Amino acid sequence: MVTAGGPVFLPRERLDALLDLLHEGGRTIVGPTVRDGNLVLDELTGVDDLPVGWRDEQSPGRFRLVPTGGSRVFDVVNGQMSPKQFVFPPKQPVGTMQRDADRAVRFAATPPDPPRLALLGVRACELAALAIQDRVLAGGTFVDEDYRARRESALVVAAQCTRASSGCFCASMGTGPEVRSGHDLALTELDEGFVVTAGSPAGERLVARLPGRPATPAEVAQAAADVAAVRAAQGEPVVIEGLRDRLMDQLDSPRWQEVADRCLACANCTMVCPTCFCTSTAISSDLDGTVNVAERQWDSCFNAGFAKVAGGNFRPERSDRYRQWLTHKFATWVDQFGMYGCVGCARCITWCPVGIDVREELAAIAPPTVPAEQMPARPAAATPGRFEVVTLRGSHHETPDTTTLHLVPSEPALLAGLPGQFVMVEQPGFPSLPISVSRFGPDELILTVRAAGPATAALVAEGPGAQVGLRGPLGRPWPVERALGRDLVIVAGGIGLAPLRPVLDAVMANRDRFGEVVLAYGARTPSDRLFTDEHAAWQAAGIELGQIVDRAEPGWDGRVGVVTHLLDRRDFSRRPTIGMVCGPERMMQATVAVLRERGVAPERVFVSMERHMQCGIGLCGHCQMGPYFVCRDGPVFSVGELGELFGKEGV
Amino acid sequence: MATPRVGVVKMASCDGCQLTLLDLEDELLALGERFELVEFPEATSRRSDGPYDVLLVEGSISTPEQAEQIVELRARAKLLVTIGACATAGGIQALRNWGDEPAWRAAVYPDAELIESLAHATPIHEYVKVDAELRGCPIDPGQLLELLTALRVGRRPQLPDEAVCLECKRLGRVCVLVAGGAPCLGPLTQTGCGALCPGYARACYACFGPREQANVASLGRWLEAERSGPGVDRLFAGFTGWAPPFRERAGRAMSGFGTAGAEASVPADGSDGVDDER
Amino acid sequence: MSADGTAVRLSGTWFGEALSAHARERLATIAEAHRVEPGAVLVREGAESDRLGILVDGLLSLRVTVAGRGRATLMTIEPGDVFGWSAVVPPYRSTSTVVALQPSEVIVFDAERLRSLLREDDALAATVYPRILGCVSRRLVATRTQLLDLYARDREYEPW
Repeated sequence: MVTAGGPVFLPRERLDALLDLLHEGGRTIVGPTVRDGNLVLDELTGVDDLPVGWRDEQSPGRFRLVPTGGSRVFDVVNGQMSPKQFVFPPKQPVGTMQRDADRAVRFAATPPDPPRLALLGVRACELAALAIQDRVLAGGTFVDEDYRARRESALVVAAQCTRASSGCFCASMGTGPEVRSGHDLALTELDEGFVVTAGSPAGERLVARLPGRPATPAEVAQAAADVAAVRAAQGEPVVIEGLRDRLMDQLDSPRWQEVADRCLACANCTMVCPTCFCTSTAISSDLDGTVNVAERQWDSCFNAGFAKVAGGNFRPERSDRYRQWLTHKFATWVDQFGMYGCVGCARCITWCPVGIDVREELAAIAPPTVPAEQMPARPAAATPGRFEVVTLRGSHHETPDTTTLHLVPSEPALLAGLPGQFVMVEQPGFPSLPISVSRFGPDELILTVRAAGPATAALVAEGPGAQVGLRGPLGRPWPVERALGRDLVIVAGGIGLAPLRPVLDAVMANRDRFGEVVLAYGARTPSDRLFTDEHAAWQAAGIELGQIVDRAEPGWDGRVGVVTHLLDRRDFSRRPTIGMVCGPERMMQATVAVLRERGVAPERVFVSMERHMQCGIGLCGHCQMGPYFVCRDGPVFSVGELGELFGKEGV
Repeated sequence: MATPRVGVVKMASCDGCQLTLLDLEDELLALGERFELVEFPEATSRRSDGPYDVLLVEGSISTPEQAEQIVELRARAKLLVTIGACATAGGIQALRNWGDEPAWRAAVYPDAELIESLAHATPIHEYVKVDAELRGCPIDPGQLLELLTALRVGRRPQLPDEAVCLECKRLGRVCVLVAGGAPCLGPLTQTGCGALCPGYARACYACFGPREQANVASLGRWLEAERSGPGVDRLFAGFTGWAPPFRERAGRAMSGFGTAGAEASVPADGSDGVDDER
Repeated sequence: MSADGTAVRLSGTWFGEALSAHARERLATIAEAHRVEPGAVLVREGAESDRLGILVDGLLSLRVTVAGRGRATLMTIEPGDVFGWSAVVPPYRSTSTVVALQPSEVIVFDAERLRSLLREDDALAATVYPRILGCVSRRLVATRTQLLDLYARDREYEPW
């Protein structure tokens, strides 16, 4: 801890002076207080608002406040709320979207307007949680502006724990009990008062103005000893060494079902967790849908709608969801952010209505052993995520349920995308839609959309001149450069041909730089084939086209069967070949297996994955698949990097 | 867009859910301009036998006449939306499903044969396909407004199938179950009410009915460990007791109910308040 | 084509390449090679199955007739694949009609001669039956995938 003049001792009866200093500049002090018999975090007007003479008794599924008869203010270790309630509020307006009478679309982001806060009584685990949220919400390419503004304007006054609650395991997670960084001031409570240290220049200025005196060596030693006792009291219920790998090795453990029998999938653990960040957007519309307010609210991977896409749910069972939560918190978070997601505050243990204890579950599912290999680095896709307005030039049906839209952007940067990228389409009153770009034209963006729900149906029903909002292009593209000088086999199933068409465009633009190029295209029926008017042009450009349908129609004398039949006689082992596959997941699995048999190694086969996307920029958490955010790390992945995840149920 | 023709009809119910539409005082005029209420006996004498673009149906099917009527109404409605616990789960009247209905009828009415009643009062979806549900007893005005707005805009209505717990946590309400020892069914119940009862330090009694993944077995076991046995079964025998996830436990509470001479298995203390320790 | 020539052609097919050389030679003794024009009917649905064939080159279509709907093409057969496997599975009745879609080259085995050869020669049977079973299994998996209708619009779409 950084303190120019060393630790200061503030007598208990002068604590009010600290609060006065914190109030300066119109700051609101937020800290623990007892309201209606419950411990909450709320605005504190004075010292009397602090939980004087209260202690917590916590055990799995149970929380009680017990009077101590003493005068300590920080004996309650924590309650249901964490600072997340104030820096990442449960409901936060994001912006307004309007469609005017002339069909023009306008979007107005809600500018951050953070209250000036002083967070008082923040524990070491909570500081660690804030640091984690800094990394997740403000440390990547896309930043949550509201969070950042709130964090930057807040003063943080930590309280070092001098007692542990029964569930605490910060020592195991390496996040406490000592307060090391991220604070402006730290207080350690002794019987007579507080040992105060500064953790920042702002903190030093505050310490200088406190009515205290230098702390004696005995007081400093007492404070250190009390904190050390907290560490000793915890033991090491969670062995963090190698935990990530141990847990990921157990994706098929029967224990997941055993926990699922107890788990209510009620989302309480994710709500009380100080690092859980998954959100969803709720749309609040006026009766005509002309003015729509988008509000970001806390969501949870335990909810039904979280992993749902048109056609099903990627995590239908409770066991899938519990596994997602535990493996995210204790394994894939490490891959995503370089740290564990858990800080050991034990809120999930106390506030679980049926008292499920993650320490027990980790010990049962992934008992201690050995360390990890590094995951291969993923190339970053740096793309703009701003909202832009585009105008529909025209549209036409490719097939009875698929429509191609030609969109003219006002911002030319929208056209600078790469094959395989997608855009988030915004329509007033509708949830955001992730749509693949089927062609980047010289002056227009072309999307091929299948009407699969009300939002896509509304989109394809628009006429020329209509406006919609667009964010993108987003996501990791097909690695076309890997196919230069090599043979390329492209396998498309159904609408999967749409995100692959830009690859064909790239090949045709530089045909001599590629070897043999084969397109194997499977569709439901001959009438369901896309881009039939371009087939001749592809073949003329030297792309070998094989087509096959699930069902024939009268007059069809082409192939009938599954798309892998088009690959059966091929031998791709003679020359290095790259594979790009897109279609329903089951079709992709079968194709990858056949390609492997035919000589294309998994590291050279690329697939485009689909998951439930809401924000498209890796902040809402919905599209996670193991350690990956499909919107940001994908949607294109190599089969090699997906490993066992590819084709795994309920992931 | 053409003004949708809206009908509001009731089966066996208290009318409270229909009233929620009339309670939308601030929006009523605007609603009136955008929807044509062609049939709504509680509000207007204007009548129509259909066709309806949207038909809101309140109440459970409790008589043979209603059973026929709902099939006819379904044929005349493009979208049929059930509103309230009676229509979606059977309601409080479904508790008679465990009883001896003919025996009661005979005990209560002098000319019992004049009363036509089905042995079971059941939700609408047991008779006809339902396009959407608004849960609750009564339904939530905000959810009703969202349904009507979604109809206008053309989107799916945002009616999340998640636990009441999320709403409590978002509102900063401390859990009455964990911190108060109240036998709250919130974790099993579909949200929509804004966590009304926990907001008054009361346990949720599941008037919105069971949500997807309602793990009755687990919470039931937990509550039994904290409180005595029969009390827990009674918690499920409420407004949505007939809903399949709750039915078994509700049935145990209702066993022997209404049978002459049998002792009720309902405990006399009727306790379901906050932990006595506090 | 000579028996040697046939054995060589056989070895170049998906079906034949997994057989032992011994099996290919023995089969070649009862094999006949044919070229057929588009429209030629090689197997008739419902008829007694009198031959098992392998497509060496070209394209064949597998059809059935549905009362009220006429002919429906279920799948097309690629070079290397087998048709008429009913010839070795009781009741030896063809389950579909096989018609050439393109000029095709086929190798066919008379059903009775094939069955009798398989009864006499255990070593031959031990390699041919698994191969036929593999072919039927492959076709079953493909049929299941076609049945799953993976490319279809999702059923969950609600009216609003």
